[in-house]
Amino acid sequence: MIAYRQIGDCFIPARHQPALILDYARSRELDEQGDKALRGTGLRGWAMPDADIALSPAQYLQLLANVMRELDSPDTSFMLGQQMLPGHFGAFSHALLQAQNLRQALEILCAGAARLCPLLTPRLREEGGLAVLYWTDGFGAPSQLPALVEMHMTAVTAMCRWLAGERLPWRYCLNRSAPAHVEQHEVHLGGDLRFNCHLDAMLIKPEWLDKAWPRGNAMAASVALDSAAAEAGADRLALAPSLLSALYDHLLANIRLGPTLELSAAAFGVSAATMKRHLARHGSHFQAELDQVRAHVAIHLFQARGYDNEAVAQYLGFHDATNFRRSFKRWTGLTPSLLRDGLLSVPL
Amino acid sequence: MLQLHRSTLIAAGLALLACLFLYASLGVAKSFEHWKWTDIVSEGGTAVMAGSWVLFTLSSRPGGLVTRLLAGGLALIMIGSFADCMDEFFIISKTARWDHWLEGMVPVGMLVVTIGMYYWRHEQFRLNEHLQKRERLFRDHRAFDRITQLANADYLRRQIRHEQARRPGQPCALVLLDIDGFHLINREFGQPEGDRVLQAVGHMLLLNLRNDDLLCRYAGDRFALLLPDTSVEEAASLARHLAAMVGQMRHHAKGGRVGISLRHACSNADAAPDVLLAELSRAVSQPAAACLMASTAVVAAA
Repeated sequence: MIAYRQIGDCFIPARHQPALILDYARSRELDEQGDKALRGTGLRGWAMPDADIALSPAQYLQLLANVMRELDSPDTSFMLGQQMLPGHFGAFSHALLQAQNLRQALEILCAGAARLCPLLTPRLREEGGLAVLYWTDGFGAPSQLPALVEMHMTAVTAMCRWLAGERLPWRYCLNRSAPAHVEQHEVHLGGDLRFNCHLDAMLIKPEWLDKAWPRGNAMAASVALDSAAAEAGADRLALAPSLLSALYDHLLANIRLGPTLELSAAAFGVSAATMKRHLARHGSHFQAELDQVRAHVAIHLFQARGYDNEAVAQYLGFHDATNFRRSFKRWTGLTPSLLRDGLLSVPL
Repeated sequence: MLQLHRSTLIAAGLALLACLFLYASLGVAKSFEHWKWTDIVSEGGTAVMAGSWVLFTLSSRPGGLVTRLLAGGLALIMIGSFADCMDEFFIISKTARWDHWLEGMVPVGMLVVTIGMYYWRHEQFRLNEHLQKRERLFRDHRAFDRITQLANADYLRRQIRHEQARRPGQPCALVLLDIDGFHLINREFGQPEGDRVLQAVGHMLLLNLRNDDLLCRYAGDRFALLLPDTSVEEAASLARHLAAMVGQMRHHAKGGRVGISLRHACSNADAAPDVLLAELSRAVSQPAAACLMASTAVVAAA
């Protein structure tokens, strides 16, 4: 049975990511305006929260939304990202600090996502001469997604720049139209920006994955990873992904078997009705999740394997390319050829 | 700000109470059917408005002569029209003169506000001089960054368009300046220290500019300069001078001295602002920054 976390479960230690947000808000003198920014977050005051307090993703999202609204500045998400990683989030943070190269850092990030970045799930793929780190929404916060993506991409960019001792040549694909504050993206991320991409991804040439980092320490990294495993211990929920992420992984693994709501619910050990209700609580439904996975798979096949419409249609079990083309347009709002041109027109 | 002016506010409140007490004790109350509602609304309304102007003025300004004159004059107008309004509720004997004196405070208040306005104009000229390198021809308080008090990228884009429309074909240079290793300062000394570095660099740059130049905080640790009537060569030389001045600065953090150095990239401001800025932004992120000549050719610069 698949373990998962829901939006109301309290598992994010208030001293981890929420404390960073409080700290930043205080540095911008938000605490002088009273407790308005703390409403709905489960936090009592601006001081460092007690060690035993944990927030739910809903409360953490609320805290972020409040602080961004009150500060009303386009750089808030980027500044929060600058300080987010490696962070002080236990053994995974220690492991990140000791990472020998980009590949190991990204693997630690993906393995410890529940601790390091609980709101967005990072996924690493390497194929077709390209390494892709892409992000999916963990707890269903579509209105906050652009800011969350800015924050998380900045976090990875800034951490890698620091640990690698140089700026890495990422290309950024963003699932949004070009914003008014594009200068923030240019400064905090980099100059190679693509908007309207239908995927929030950071692309880099694979040779950067294995270039040794100056601070890297194989021994210390493996010790830290061991203690991360010990920290999680026997608790099978300790590193469990969010429901949406767990479902994404499940659908991705079974995408060629024609997944249905009933079959997926069974894999999660709940009834179809319960699964429906859980998804609704995350602002989603089964078909939307399935469409997202199929769109991502199609984009991946186009990009990494150079498949044409016919081949992708066959892979995903469509009767013909026309049907696939129509569905793809419904998922992404673009025809496959348009998207292919946009994503791959200029080689990295 | 209102905390600063507590005694002024208490004095104005007491004056209103004294006025009410004076009318209530020396006058005879009118019966309800003799109340003239139009007069009550217009005179009472004037008093309420003038009172709110006093609050707006005091809450938005530091103390000083101009503030005292503006708030004092408005308070006189408020008390005068309040007294005028009390007339509608109480009958005062025809022989008494004090109520006329009270109502006479309205024109006196107007005179005081006018004198205040005169000095305010002077003050504004001084402030304009001070702000000139930060804002140039327009004022838009929303476009200012809270940390450095400089205009943001949005304002810069508008100014580039404005400059192109105002004097097409004239040389106008655009420079981006980036602090080397700023992220390391943030990691090592903390983000509040990083903020102080940004402020220090902003001040240093402002001190070395002409009155017609505009300095903006583009984003993060990147500053932008718009230099009207300037060729790319002159801009590059100015940028080198600025980098040298900032390099000479001694910035002291808690953990020790922080060395600050700048990279720069410059070009002619002759294209669409978004394209221009994106291109410059890419150039200035390179380890060795460069100058873009005529938007295409690249001239190396340290």
